[in-house]
Amino acid sequence: MASTSGRQLKAMLRKDIVMELRTKEMIMSMGLYSLLTMVVYFVALSQAGSTFDPRDIAAGLLWLAFIFTSMLGLNRSLVHEKDQGCLEALLLSPVDRPVIFFAKAGGNLIFLLAVEALTLPVFGFLFLQGTQLDWSSIALLPLILIAGSTGMAGVGTLLATMSVNTSGKDFVLAMLFIPLMYPLLLGAVTATGGAIVGGVQGVEVFWTGMAWVLGYDVIMLLASYGLYEFIVGA
Amino acid sequence: MNEGQTQPLALEIRDLTRAFGVRKALDGIDIELPKGAFLSIFGPNGAGKTTLVKVLTTLLNPTSGSAHVLGRDVVVDAVELRTHIGLISHSPLLYPDLTAEENLLFFADMYGVEKPHVRVSELLEAVELDHRKLDLTRNFSRGMLQRLSIARALLHRPEVLFLDEPYSGLDPHAMDILDGLIAQIRGDHTFVMISHDLDKGLELCSHALILARGRVVLYEPREAIDDAAFRQTYRSTVGMGVS
Amino acid sequence: MRSLTTRASVALVLGGILTLGAFLGAFFWAGVPDFGFVRTAEQADSVRYTGPFEQPIDEARYLANYAGYTIEIEAGGETVRGELVSADKDAVELTTDTGSVTIDAADFEAARVFGSEYGRPDWGQKIFYFHVPVAEISFIVFAFAAFYAVRFLMTRDRENDTKARVSMEVTLVFVVLTMLTGILWTKAAWGVWWDWEPRLTTYFILTLLVVAYFVLRNSVEDEERRAVYAAVFSILAFIDVPISFFITRLIPSNHPVIESGGLEGPMLVSFILGQVGMIALGYAIYQLRMGEVQLYDRIEQAKALLER
Repeated sequence: MASTSGRQLKAMLRKDIVMELRTKEMIMSMGLYSLLTMVVYFVALSQAGSTFDPRDIAAGLLWLAFIFTSMLGLNRSLVHEKDQGCLEALLLSPVDRPVIFFAKAGGNLIFLLAVEALTLPVFGFLFLQGTQLDWSSIALLPLILIAGSTGMAGVGTLLATMSVNTSGKDFVLAMLFIPLMYPLLLGAVTATGGAIVGGVQGVEVFWTGMAWVLGYDVIMLLASYGLYEFIVGA
Repeated sequence: MNEGQTQPLALEIRDLTRAFGVRKALDGIDIELPKGAFLSIFGPNGAGKTTLVKVLTTLLNPTSGSAHVLGRDVVVDAVELRTHIGLISHSPLLYPDLTAEENLLFFADMYGVEKPHVRVSELLEAVELDHRKLDLTRNFSRGMLQRLSIARALLHRPEVLFLDEPYSGLDPHAMDILDGLIAQIRGDHTFVMISHDLDKGLELCSHALILARGRVVLYEPREAIDDAAFRQTYRSTVGMGVS
Repeated sequence: MRSLTTRASVALVLGGILTLGAFLGAFFWAGVPDFGFVRTAEQADSVRYTGPFEQPIDEARYLANYAGYTIEIEAGGETVRGELVSADKDAVELTTDTGSVTIDAADFEAARVFGSEYGRPDWGQKIFYFHVPVAEISFIVFAFAAFYAVRFLMTRDRENDTKARVSMEVTLVFVVLTMLTGILWTKAAWGVWWDWEPRLTTYFILTLLVVAYFVLRNSVEDEERRAVYAAVFSILAFIDVPISFFITRLIPSNHPVIESGGLEGPMLVSFILGQVGMIALGYAIYQLRMGEVQLYDRIEQAKALLER
């Protein structure tokens, strides 16, 4: 049975990636959305003058962009399935429901990370010019990006599977997603802030935040994994 | 134990109920269908036809009662059962941004079909879509989608085929192909079809079922049915739409 | 059904009397000259606040509220104790035994506030007798909702879903009450209506989660699917809330921490009256609402039967 699950998981992941590479729909829309957010940031901060240290707020701005971009991606990825009734076709096949969860969440995670990997240097280029960066602690950033995005993708996939069947769609997803993401965001922003500010203290703060994010991931992903089959069976 | 091969019944449904609170989508359904039969299900909107098929295809769980398809319980043996059943719906259940071939290969992987490429080619030829296999299904006509959908449903050689209004929206050519395919595999397969087309349904079936408000109004083998009386009964249920 | 209404009415009356008693006790019996729970003469209420990088952050507005209290300030490595005269973001002024002392905000590190020795009725603090019970009940009922959600997923019994929903409705009532009393208390204690302070923020998140529950319910048409989705979400929310509370330990807080207990006499009695009264009120609201919902369901059932 394990070999079948593996084959199914690979098939589902491959399908999502092939479809995405072919249309580039999700990456494009998520990437552009991220860029647009940067523009809005510029406008929003334009009155703040040049006395503030952008390193202080960089973490918050980054994760703000990631969270809203991820919601966009989650919605689209599930709408694909629902459109032609494909989710039903998946449910008809002899696949364990949790495997569907991992495949969908995994796909979403990959796309999210891709967008984040693009956004990060762009953000740095636009807003962190001329600030002093501690490159050894910056190198820690990918860790928190992965940890935070895993939580977002996992819980988000569960919620998006629900919200795509409602009459509110994006709004319902936002309403459910953002409050549940609060602890994850808090930990991620703390850690990211620590990494960007750098120094011994920054690194210490980084690992504290990281620990919390990992804790959140473990608990919430376990819960999402357990609850997923109730949702798709409804 | 209870292996599918020794079971003479394709469907064994006992007092099947699907209810939530007061509303009953299915209310005490009792049906037995032998293997190799063709069951046509008729009934007004909201009668529970789709719900019944969903329960039989393990997409929904019953609230009480039991249903066995090919000797397997739809709840307990769901995963194993799915390898023996197929569904053709009025939605194509195909991914628009994959080619015809990719779609079939994907589902072949999901069903654990052996030698997937061989099987996929075989089916593409059978539904006369071999020449379009490298085209995205996004560009297919409705008829072509339905033909591909049939191919998808047959990939894993299911013993029981469920059809949910398969003829709706088809052009005559596609209808012919569907007819032809059904005729071809008629012998070794059991069919369960929901249809709003009384004539077509009666023409193909060996057993007929009329559902209304989740209950069995009439269930007879084809020979026992008098056409005129049947139509009368059917018409009388049309007024019993969704409550 | 008759017994349900009777139980509910009894609970309502009892709860009302007890809560009223708590109020009267709090305002007229307990309180003067003591502050009650949080700040008695022996206890200290720490108002130290440091940011994530150990930089002192302006808390003058918090201190300003404690003018007239005995206060201990740590600044520049030294500790000064005296009566607080004024505080703003530039300097803090104290009257000590040796005269007036002004401390620069730049040197400021931490402060501790002690109960006043000449006694001052602290009206803002009275809200406490109401706020704590409501907050506690909101969590308890929220837990019940999650419990019924789990039961529902296991049994798929519509009754469990109804119980879960009604529990969430009661939770909503108490959450709103907690937020309102909390806001009043924030104003009374710290001089501002709102602060993005960790515990307040986390409770606000809880409010959002409860509202989200109803948004979700309202946006799903199919009854059974609605029940399943709502149950799943309330379970997720229930797991999420404790995580949120613990994660805010990342950021030290200004929320009054009860460092050492010590309610005595009339204050204790009022407080307990308030607690029990609130529990009774919560129970009453739940039962009354359940009765209403069950009546509605019965009518629906009768309608459906008539149509068959």
